[in-house]
Amino acid sequence: MSEQDKVDPERRDFLITSTTILGVAGAAGACWPLISSMNPTPSVKSEAVTEVDLQGVAPGAVHTVPWRGEPVFIFHRTQAEIAAMEASKGGKDPQSDEARVKNPDWLVVIGICTHLGCVPNKTAKGWLCPCHGSVYDNSGRIISGPAPRNLDVPPYHFAADDKIIIG
Amino acid sequence: MKCLNLAGLIIFLGIVVSQSLAVAAESTDVEIPQSPEAVRRGAEVITNVCMACHSLKYIKYGGLAQLGFSAKELDTLRSGKSLKEPLVSDMSPDMLKEGFGVVPPDLSLMAHAREGGPAYIYEILTGFYHKPDGSVDNHAFPGIKMPDVLNFSDAESPAQRGPLEEQAKDAAAFLNWAADPHAAERHHLGYYVLAYLLVLTILLYLSKRKVWARLD
Amino acid sequence: MTNRVIAWIDQRFPLTAFVKHELTEYPTPRNLSYWWNFGFLAGFVLVLQIVSGIFLAMHYKPDIHLAFDSVQYIMREVNYGWLLRYFHAIGASAFFIVIYIHMARTLYYGSYRAPRELLWWSGQILLLLLMATAFMGYLLPWGQMSYWGAQVITSLFRATPWFGNDLVLWLRGDFTVSDATLNRFFALHYLVPFIIFGMVVIHLVALHAVRSSNPSGINLADKDNIPFHPYFTSKDFYGLGVFLIVLCGFVFFKPDFFLEAINNVPANPMQTPAHIVPEWYFLPFYAILRAIPDTLGGVVAMVMSIMIFAAMPYLDRSKLPGGARFRPLYRLAFYVFIADVAVLSYVGAHPPSGVLVDVGRVATFVYFATFLLLPPVSILEERWLRARGLPTGLETLVAGEGDKVGAGK
Repeated sequence: MSEQDKVDPERRDFLITSTTILGVAGAAGACWPLISSMNPTPSVKSEAVTEVDLQGVAPGAVHTVPWRGEPVFIFHRTQAEIAAMEASKGGKDPQSDEARVKNPDWLVVIGICTHLGCVPNKTAKGWLCPCHGSVYDNSGRIISGPAPRNLDVPPYHFAADDKIIIG
Repeated sequence: MKCLNLAGLIIFLGIVVSQSLAVAAESTDVEIPQSPEAVRRGAEVITNVCMACHSLKYIKYGGLAQLGFSAKELDTLRSGKSLKEPLVSDMSPDMLKEGFGVVPPDLSLMAHAREGGPAYIYEILTGFYHKPDGSVDNHAFPGIKMPDVLNFSDAESPAQRGPLEEQAKDAAAFLNWAADPHAAERHHLGYYVLAYLLVLTILLYLSKRKVWARLD
Repeated sequence: MTNRVIAWIDQRFPLTAFVKHELTEYPTPRNLSYWWNFGFLAGFVLVLQIVSGIFLAMHYKPDIHLAFDSVQYIMREVNYGWLLRYFHAIGASAFFIVIYIHMARTLYYGSYRAPRELLWWSGQILLLLLMATAFMGYLLPWGQMSYWGAQVITSLFRATPWFGNDLVLWLRGDFTVSDATLNRFFALHYLVPFIIFGMVVIHLVALHAVRSSNPSGINLADKDNIPFHPYFTSKDFYGLGVFLIVLCGFVFFKPDFFLEAINNVPANPMQTPAHIVPEWYFLPFYAILRAIPDTLGGVVAMVMSIMIFAAMPYLDRSKLPGGARFRPLYRLAFYVFIADVAVLSYVGAHPPSGVLVDVGRVATFVYFATFLLLPPVSILEERWLRARGLPTGLETLVAGEGDKVGAGK
């Protein structure tokens, strides 16, 4: 037997090594369906896109719609408000108003305060978060208070002049 | 003494094989087509004919896209309904119960919910006949409350029955898909998995032999 | 590098010592046949069921209005949900096939005999826990068979004297199988497999205390033991490969083989299906239940038909080693028992009418007879075999000593 050991140790190890590698590879591959099953299903992913009809939202009014479980503010801005926003760069998180909208008449932002997640309330000049007093302007930019960032802008596009698709 | 064990094993295998063959034999009285074309034709039969009374609540219109319909064909099938909507009959359950005495069952799983599978669907659709008193009954389900939707009982010649039988087969094919939409994917993956396991098991066997050869 | 990490651990925890003693260098009889692979396979299927079950539980909803739909959601929408469900459903049947073969091996080779009684009884407990888990799991899809199977079996407890009705009410949490029942069955179905896992550890500890038996039934000399690794690790993995081919054959190509068609119909408490049939692994016991005309009698008979296995170490009174190997009458009794279980399964699968009723009763009688006649038969058989002369090796081994199979550590 020791003769065979000397002659064949390489071959025996090769067989067992390759078998082991193949087996481990299969076991790893078998994990993929488990991991994949935790990903969002097609139903969930289809809910990630929301159509919003803009008719009936008067200038100066904010229409709130749910999107992926969060509120989205759709704000029909007046000319005065647009002019004021274009003239400023915001506060702690400077950003031009132009960079935050596709059509200046409509501001679309996620209505979640970037501090700790409360939903801000609309004021004449923008929004005020009731939890810790963060103040946002009419472009959703953080002006004062503990919030670090401007209100996030979700992915959206205009399907028509009076219809946007969020997501 | 090993003969007795071998005999026992053979008898056991015999039972398994004979039962499996019996099960397989039961379900091949009529050939239900499996082709994508048949399933698409079946989708049209179901949406045009069956959905007057039946729903398929686990299938969404959008889900029909994977059968290979073009966007236009899909539009025709769903006639205005959203892609996210399930295939639900326009008639309400109450109206249907009043009309037929029972609510027509949902068809999403029907091809798998009865003994005989999709062949049974075919037997129902082509089982309608005229009784001596003129009323219509069904060979596969005597006393069925469903009307003769394909007008099969009026078809007298093979020439008349042929197209209706094809429709029935297509409908069964679609319902077979609806009950198990992942069948094709499952078989596809299965071939690879079994091929891998076969190779691995052969290697495992050879490894086992090599290891055990170390013993005197 | 790994060696240094392991050395660090070994100074604080008996890792290497444990692995060597209980796994890699663990002495195992060299003549174990493939019938000894099934314990390992059972452990594998347990892990398979737990893993697939946990991922299914991420999507399943244990509410009577949502359960059936959630299973369809898993089958149709969840990525590879159909794969998880089929592995879990077919895995349950695979579990019972493996366990029944494992038990048959133990009965055939007499591995339940002293000093392995605790090993056998821990296995008995595992069987009961498995049956409970499977029974509760079957309710979860909330199909017609799920509902009515649970309704019938929970009704059986009504036969309990004095507090039968209260017991059933308590078990179900309601007057019939309902939302309360479904929710608690889900909670317990999730829990019990982990109790099974703990019990398996106890089962293995009991095994290692007395070591494996072997096909000869005779305690082998120390020189005839070989280390578990690599001999039985390689053999177990090979057996696993064969097992997986069969399992995946069913999962990918014939997943409906073990599933009742009527369970694709949502549960309807107002309408009972034409034939109520339990899953195949309960059929023999179901047949015994129905064979006795009296309800309580039937329940007692069914319970005894499972519990009687525990008595085996005491029913077999032969001092000859092993089980069927050297004992023709015992072997005959074993095959009669297996055939009888097959007959009972057939009877259990069909409605109790005509000749099947009598067949079921005879088969039930034979079932218990193979156990209860064992004491006298084993004694007589031993006398007969000794009278005609034992094979020489056996003669020396059994001279006066009885069956002292001590574990030489």
